[in-house]
This record gives sequence, structure tokens and C-alpha cells, in this order.
Amino acid sequence: MDTNIGPSEMLLHLGPQHAIQPGPYLLDLRLKGESVVDAELKMGYIHKGIEKILENKTYLQGITITDRICYLAAMSNNEVFCGCVERLVGIEPPERSQYIRVIMEELSRIQSHLLGLGEFSTDLGFITMFLYMIREREEVLNLIDTVTGSRITQTYLRFGGVREDFPEGYEQKTMLVLNDLKKKLDQHENLYDTDRIYRQRTVGVGTLTKEVATELGVAGPPLRATGVKFDVRKDDPYLVYDDLDFKVCTQKNGDIFARIKVRLDEIRESIYMIEQSFDQMPQGPLFPEGTPYGRRTPVMRVPPGEVFYRVEDPRGEMGMYMISDGSDTPYRVKIRGPVFPTMQALPPLILNTYIADVAAIAASMDGCTSEADR
Amino acid sequence: MIDADYILSSLTKTFPNDFSESKIESDTKLTSYVEKDAIFNVCKHMLDNLECNHLSCECGVDYPDRNELEVVYHIASYEHPVVITLKVKLPRDDPEIESIVSVYWNANWYERETYELYGIMYKNHPDLKPLLLIDEMLGDWPLRKDYDGYPNKTSKNLV
Repeated sequence: MDTNIGPSEMLLHLGPQHAIQPGPYLLDLRLKGESVVDAELKMGYIHKGIEKILENKTYLQGITITDRICYLAAMSNNEVFCGCVERLVGIEPPERSQYIRVIMEELSRIQSHLLGLGEFSTDLGFITMFLYMIREREEVLNLIDTVTGSRITQTYLRFGGVREDFPEGYEQKTMLVLNDLKKKLDQHENLYDTDRIYRQRTVGVGTLTKEVATELGVAGPPLRATGVKFDVRKDDPYLVYDDLDFKVCTQKNGDIFARIKVRLDEIRESIYMIEQSFDQMPQGPLFPEGTPYGRRTPVMRVPPGEVFYRVEDPRGEMGMYMISDGSDTPYRVKIRGPVFPTMQALPPLILNTYIADVAAIAASMDGCTSEADR
Repeated sequence: MIDADYILSSLTKTFPNDFSESKIESDTKLTSYVEKDAIFNVCKHMLDNLECNHLSCECGVDYPDRNELEVVYHIASYEHPVVITLKVKLPRDDPEIESIVSVYWNANWYERETYELYGIMYKNHPDLKPLLLIDEMLGDWPLRKDYDGYPNKTSKNLV
């Protein structure tokens, strides 16, 4: 960014520590009056070197590390890592495990969206909504906790299966919570829709068009809010998503309001998917039979090869590229997180908007610095 | 209908001498090595003619045994489910390749990241500077296999 300021211009450093941010990043803004005329994003404040760490850990140890890429999406990060290894080894989880994975990943998506909506509302000064969302999220986290034993970094998936089966009566308990959540979501959506100040701050603000969004390479809810029907679960199905009936939630306008709508719709769609999964889930083993890989395989060697596998994270397309050289640790792991391109698209998105809207736009993208930096 | 077969035949027809070791793994997965000088035009052709309008990922891989670095491009699409993996071999002592930022806008940060982690120089990149690492680490190329790090700065000592 050019730091020579002209008449009636000023430079503003937003961050690296600021109340509106989901994690530390530095947003340099050049302002003319109240408009943003130039912006630059500086990353790296929370770089953990996860790709290098994974090269030095055995495959089983790696699962725990992938949780830490982003705690909100720990389940899909596990999925993408385990999926890569399964494809290299050539095993497939039994159907019951696949359904359990779908249910847990959709629960995880629900809690991530709820926190995303809550944080977004705080940044608009809509604190009531944050408290509502956090309350609902806690119920969903309890459900995840019941099965996995922890709230956020679950380390639940294993190569070829999952760690534990559902406890008894889990379906009834889950559906009780989710049916309740459905009713509450309608109430909250009504609150969003009818609030005059909220509408003024979101309708027509931070608009991404279809063409710009695809050119910038964003994925997930910000992309679907522009009307592009891109969802890895539909386009490149993994697990049993092929057998489930669901629609890709889209909106037309591409503004903040549309992004929030997409997230609310996706929560409902996830609940519907969980209902179906419980109905269709067969009994059976959790791990494939006749393979050396199972629940406890501390030292496993993976045949040489390479694979690129992608799944739909709560925030968009999550991919992993893994190369194995036949030893017990991966040769190279590249994590392609969904937030990386979303963060990259932020500076062009906030050009020529008001400084007061920057917080709302940034929050509506639902970024996670931890994942972008890795 | 665009699938891996169609894409590979279109690419090999347009660039007959630049593709080697091409492998079709399934209808939606295609892997191939590309000559270093051709990558820019290949990407342009894929964007213009094959609806591959989404650069999913770009990264580097180090092979000290062969004295080579590889740049790997994963190019996908919003229209069809095919993912194309293109790999380019570069000499380890002088890795230099044409930047594709003018074709795929979001390659910008991926190339900055690959530059700081592997030391791959991108020609005609609009703003090639470190993205994630501190300035003092420029030149260390930490994701190369021969990077030792300092006694307490590397993950190797934590295992």
C-alpha cells in the first residue's frame, strides 16, 4: 500500500488486536474522509507451522494437530486428514461410521454457524443476538461432548472409522435439541428480519457479485450468497452425502444480509440431513474388517502416493494435499483452508465503503485467522 | 460434458510437447507434469476454454534427493467437479517460474506463501514479499527438507 497520504486522507491501523477481530491480523486502511480508498491485510501473527509439524508427526499423532487448525471446524479438519490417509491406504469406512461422521460433521457445522452469527451480531452491536446464539450453541456442543468427550478439539475420527459409537438414546436426545433449535431459529430470523437498524446496516452493504466472487476465489456461504451453487458435498460428494436429500442454500444479492440468510438456511438444512442420517443409519462395525488398520494403530506405514481430497467445511471448501513416501510420517501436507482466500478477498471488498461498515463486512465473511495462518 | 479425459485431450492437443507422465485417476482427477515455460499459457487456456475458473490451491514440494523443487497447482472449477493437478519441476538452486496471478487472482497469496517457505521466485508477481513469516526468516526457506531451525524453534525437537 502506498503510504504517502494526500489531502484529507489518513492511515488507520486496525489490529492486530481489536475487539472486532476473530483473531489477530493487521488491516491497514487509507481513508479519505470516511471512505476506504486503499486497504492491505497483513497476516502471520498466529502462524503455527502446522504443515511442518505434520511432517514430523506420525499419522495418528497428526489427527490431534489438525484439530488445532481451527477449533470451530475441528471435525471437518479431522475428516480431510483421515480421508487423505484412507485414500492412500485404500480403505473405506463402513457405512455406519460414514453416517456417524456425517451426523457429527453436520452438528459441528451447526455450532460453527451459530458462533459465526453470534460474533457477527456482536460486531454490529446486536449483543442480544450473541447471547441467544451462544446459548443455542452450548446445547449443540453438549451433544458433541456426549459422544466425543470434549467440546471443541474432539480428535474423534480415526482412519477407517470413528473412535466411539453413539451412546444409548442419542438419537432422541439429539432430535429433542434440534427440534427446539429449529423453533428458536425461526424466532431469531424474525428478529434479524424485522430490525430496522440491522437492515439498514446490512442490506446492500459489502456486496459481492457473482463474477467478482468467482474471480476472487471465495467459497462457502459468501459465495453461495451471490447465487453460485457451489458446494463440495453436492459437486464432489464424499461419505454418504450422495444418499442424502438436501439442497444447496443460495441467495441472490450477495450482500451481508444474504450471507447471514445463507447461514441460517444451512443450519436448517443440516438439521434435515441429521434427521435423515439417523433414519438411514445401519447397524454394523465401526472399522473395516480384514485390514491392519483399526482404532489403535500407533505406528502405521502408508504406501507411497499422493492425494488431493476436499470436503465442505462450515466456511467453504477445505482441501488437503498429502504426499506419502512409505514411511510412518507424511512427506508433505498442504492445507488449503477456506478462510485463506476469503481473507485475501477482504481488501478489495471493503474498497469505497464507509469505515463504519468495515467491521460488519469483515465479520460477515466469518474469517478465522488461525486457519488462514496455520 | 467436461471430464478428465476431455480436458487432457484438449490440453495435449493445444500444447503437444509440454505434458508428460499424464495420469487419469478417475473421471474427476487428473495429474500431469507440465514444462516450466508453458504453465502460464496452460492456465490461461484452461481458464478461457475449459471452464476451470477456480484455483483451489498452489503449493511447493521439496525433493532434495533429486535436487528439485516442485510447484503443484490444483485447479478446479465452479461449473464441473474435475480437479486437475499440474506439477512443474524446478532446479533446487535456481527455482524461478512465471507467476499466474494475472490469470487466477487468488494465486497472489499462495505464491507469496510458497516464496517465503520454499524460496521459489515468481516472475512478474505484483508484490512478492513474505506473507506469514517474520522478515528475519526470509532466506531460511523453512519448509525445505534440509531446514534445521534453531534449537528451540523447530517442531523436530518436539517429537
